[in-house]
Amino acid sequence: MAHARTFGLRSQAPQYRWRIVAGGGLLLAIVHTMLLRRLRMGDFTPDLYSVFALYLGLFASRQGRYVPCLVLGLIRDFFSIGLLGSYGVLYSLLHKAAGRARGKLDPERIVNVFIMALIGTFLVNFGYHGMLVIGGNGIGWTRALVRCASTAAASAPLAVFAYPLMHFALDKLRVNRIGGFWNI
Amino acid sequence: MRRTQEKLTLGWFLRHPLVATCILLALTIVLPYLRIGERLKLLTFLPLAHAQSDVSETPYEELSESERMQVDLKTERERNSELAAENSRLRDALNQLNELGRRDPDFAKSKLPDAVNAQVVFHGDSSGWRHSCWINRGKDAGIEEGMPVVSGRTLIGRVFMVGDSEACVQLVSDAGFACSCLIIDPDSTTDKSAERVRGILRGDGSSMPHFPRLELEDVAVGAEVVPGMHVVTNDYSGQFPLGLSVGVVREVIPQAGFLEVRIEANLDLSTLEVVQVLKHERPEIEKQALALMRKK
Repeated sequence: MAHARTFGLRSQAPQYRWRIVAGGGLLLAIVHTMLLRRLRMGDFTPDLYSVFALYLGLFASRQGRYVPCLVLGLIRDFFSIGLLGSYGVLYSLLHKAAGRARGKLDPERIVNVFIMALIGTFLVNFGYHGMLVIGGNGIGWTRALVRCASTAAASAPLAVFAYPLMHFALDKLRVNRIGGFWNI
Repeated sequence: MRRTQEKLTLGWFLRHPLVATCILLALTIVLPYLRIGERLKLLTFLPLAHAQSDVSETPYEELSESERMQVDLKTERERNSELAAENSRLRDALNQLNELGRRDPDFAKSKLPDAVNAQVVFHGDSSGWRHSCWINRGKDAGIEEGMPVVSGRTLIGRVFMVGDSEACVQLVSDAGFACSCLIIDPDSTTDKSAERVRGILRGDGSSMPHFPRLELEDVAVGAEVVPGMHVVTNDYSGQFPLGLSVGVVREVIPQAGFLEVRIEANLDLSTLEVVQVLKHERPEIEKQALALMRKK
């Protein structure tokens, strides 16, 4: 049954894929650079890019996860002075992890979304600090751990509210949903 | 079962974007002097720069009445902001010169290089771990990589990458920022060379750029550093001119073998509007050596 559903999705052309990824990426770049910094939340600034990448990893169709996550990461890299490709690689790994987590935890449950967003955001930020260390720009592992945990703690509750909103928006756009996956 | 061999072509990389990204990342890490990442990133700002130049290149006579008014208003605003910035810079410089002159004749004597006024067009960085901003002046205005960026006489950062008419500034609070600094006691009346303490300034990538928490590393144990002392740039490496104000010492933490000095920066980096890029050229190694020998 699941195979039939997946096959059904595969046979359809993706809907709004690049518009969602490019539009979302640019919108988040504006939010991160102009809005979030002004809110002065310190280490508790949420990582909206990672929340969005995790959403794609959990709910997009099989073809709409890997490359869109990578492109989203590259968009973030282009608006940062960090190493080009850091977030690209991290988000494509995140989609792999999300795919496995989906098999064990039901992403439709709020508690599971919270746990997955918490762990996912933490790992992405910790991985990014690893990249900073490779480039000689690390801030110290203890401080980095605290910062990653703070960012994850701020992002996870947002994911709980953001995911139903994104479901609603995709539904309004009349994107097909088969077997829990959006055809993007 | 025999596997078909795929040729390593551009098409193969397009089918395997993760591999391509990993190679790009590896090249950026292993060959930093090629600055592949920076060159690619500048491309994203090209359309913006071209669009800007298209508007400015349209003859004034061909514009409509409202467009002319807009252009006039924009020109006046730019002129006003430049004059205001210059005014504030001169006032700051004068105040600091007077203040420093009373304390330390060396800083008073140090003349700042010529400056280019620039407007901050894009605040912040999409990654919370890095701190940067984009300004609307580039190679066309004579800006080069590594030049110091200041507001008045206060250090803000350095030029990280340059396009034709735009440049990216790495802020002092960025984790990758480093600069040689001096700690001076403004109230001291003793011999000036004895009270100078050297250290390396490092941004800690703090997520609060409005209250930048900077750190001075490698300060010798036994050096007399107390909260309230001033931190200014040192021309030891030649990267920055002498005497640019950085901040005030807030806390001193003894570590194994050295002191860790925490500094409160003088500026709120999140509200920057107009900055000045100092046309300071880093001296060649021979000139640096000569300057050091003369000092000794």
